[in-house]
Amino acid sequence: MKGLELIGLEIAVIAAGIAILLLDLWTAKEDKRRLGYAAALLVGVIFLASFAMLFEGRQEAFHGMYVLDEFALFFKRFFLIAALLVLLISVEFADRFESGVAEYYAITLFALAGMMFAASANDFTLLFVSIELVAVCFYVLVSFQRQRDRSLEAGVKYLITGALSGGFLVYGIALIYGTAGTLNFRELASLGPEVLESRLLLLGLLFVFVGLGFKIAVVPFQIWVPDVYQGAPVPTTAFLAAGSKGAGVVLLARLLYTGLRPIADRWGPVLVMLAMLTILYGGLCAIPQRNFRRLMGYSSIVNAGFILLALAAGTADGLAATLFYLAAYLYGVMGAFVVLCLARCPGQEDETCVLAGLHHRSPLLAATLTLAMVSLAGIPPAAGFFGKFQVFKAVIGQGAAFPYPAWALGVAVFGAVVSLYFYLNVVRTVFWSSTSESVAPIRISHATRWAVYLVIFAILWLGILPGAILNLAEYAVHSMGL
Amino acid sequence: MAPLHQYLLLSALLFGIGLAGVLTRRNGLITLMGIELMLNAANLNFIAFWRHSPNPEAIEGVLLTMFAIGVAAAEVAVGLALVIAIYRRYRSVNLDEVDQLKG
Amino acid sequence: MSSQLEQFIPVLMLGAFAVIVTVGMLLLSVVLGRRGRNSRMKNIAYECGMIPIGPSNVRLSVKFYLVAMLFILFDIEVVFLYPWAVIYRELLAEPAMKNVALISMVSFLGILFAGYLYAVKKGAFDWKD
Repeated sequence: MKGLELIGLEIAVIAAGIAILLLDLWTAKEDKRRLGYAAALLVGVIFLASFAMLFEGRQEAFHGMYVLDEFALFFKRFFLIAALLVLLISVEFADRFESGVAEYYAITLFALAGMMFAASANDFTLLFVSIELVAVCFYVLVSFQRQRDRSLEAGVKYLITGALSGGFLVYGIALIYGTAGTLNFRELASLGPEVLESRLLLLGLLFVFVGLGFKIAVVPFQIWVPDVYQGAPVPTTAFLAAGSKGAGVVLLARLLYTGLRPIADRWGPVLVMLAMLTILYGGLCAIPQRNFRRLMGYSSIVNAGFILLALAAGTADGLAATLFYLAAYLYGVMGAFVVLCLARCPGQEDETCVLAGLHHRSPLLAATLTLAMVSLAGIPPAAGFFGKFQVFKAVIGQGAAFPYPAWALGVAVFGAVVSLYFYLNVVRTVFWSSTSESVAPIRISHATRWAVYLVIFAILWLGILPGAILNLAEYAVHSMGL
Repeated sequence: MAPLHQYLLLSALLFGIGLAGVLTRRNGLITLMGIELMLNAANLNFIAFWRHSPNPEAIEGVLLTMFAIGVAAAEVAVGLALVIAIYRRYRSVNLDEVDQLKG
Repeated sequence: MSSQLEQFIPVLMLGAFAVIVTVGMLLLSVVLGRRGRNSRMKNIAYECGMIPIGPSNVRLSVKFYLVAMLFILFDIEVVFLYPWAVIYRELLAEPAMKNVALISMVSFLGILFAGYLYAVKKGAFDWKD
């Protein structure tokens, strides 16, 4: 059947997940931790295999429900790298799970499969199924440390808000189905503006946006973010920040740039408004934070704002900027969380002791964290600078056609300056804070060391020689016919 | 066959009841029931729209309903497990008591 | 096209309706749900007018919840089996779909079987202990 070879990567990921789950049944308890390396290895192989998927242009399968183009492949590779790093981090984290280490790896793989399907969704059915697959996996991943109050609480908060937004999502899809008579993005676009602008369909789209905005952490659907980021296990938080957000972004981008292309002048201003609110909210709330993971939560909200701003441009440049920004954000987040996972203080829930005097305990980790913060703050040699630069370029490039250009730029600059403050505050804590703790050096396993090198290399590469990834992003955007 | 708007009103009612349940009730189990109600309201909408559509050959709506049922079951299974874990820890399923993360 | 849209005008009420029902219920519960109307006598379970003996919420073993959950998960999969069974004969008539019809369902059941195997091995069906 024609469709099956197109979803080969997803099938491989799911098979790997099931294999890990079954292998666990016949593995001795002390070896279970190492199944994570097997899972990471499989993900790495699948990542390499994704380059063997050379197709001429865009291909559709399952009645146009699933589409494979360069845009989808870009995001699939993005998710595979994110999962690879998360799996390596979670091997380090494994001794903090009381039970079910192998299940953690397996569910991470299943969530990855959901994200990869999301990258190819060209239909509301696949959008719904993939987003729910990611969500259900994350309900489990967030509450995985069942003996820890905070993990449970984060899990229950994520479950209630997530399921609520899922309810809105599917109700919205029902309204769209009723008015448009189709669930396919392409067919939706061919209906023309007069159908797309009917009130009921706009209401349905609003409900769908609730579901997607929840994933991306856009104001006003960001309520859960700080609590869940703080309470969830560290690898989960990392995957939530990079993978789950990426899944929301790819779905939103595909929906806006194919299905709702005819009414771009409608959603542009709405997105800009929400982007400005998101940047302001995240930036202002991040300032007084003392807990590092809560800070990363608010940072995630600010970054969601920038991504939305780039998407709102409605141009090929805007979409390419989104892709590049996400790639830069991925490595910044992974850099921060790999450090947080390794440099821990037993018996303490608060992370301030992790940061204070880190450069005594491990210069490598201190350097990684600094680089990650510099990148997220958008300071020149690092990847984040170029990401922000691309977003500004997309906004300015639109000129007067961009909705509220002056306001949007003002808020974006404000957001960039504020985030400069709170990211550099973290760096200050690392190097110039008095430590009362005993300074035991941190030991890093070989695999994790390579993960750290990969993150450092990627941040610098994207920052200094952004051309290659930028070309890839533009190529991906062109494959969507923009 | 009942006219379309009757189905839609019923489903809107179900959605409203479910939403009210999620927002007002503090009991974790009843919150889950509210969410189920919202999903089923959407399912009812899908079936009604399909039944009244000029083109009944297009079965995407019914297809999505089946996926929604499957997803709802998975969601409820995870939700129940989580509520049980909360109960074991707090000896209560009142979600207001589960509130340490702030700041 | 517009006549088709007019059909859906009642549906426009639906958004407003959902909001009204939600807000109405919230308001009603504030207005009607005053405190202090409860008494100890009123709160006891009704058992044909007799004073009840013993606690009304009999504890059931937690094992039941695991079985119930597994039942939900495996039971719901019938949703996908049923339509497949209905059209299987028609699919066999088409040479292109002949193998696909079987393989897709076998792989689906294979995934379910992996889940079942996992549940058995982890002792989810183990009643004693």
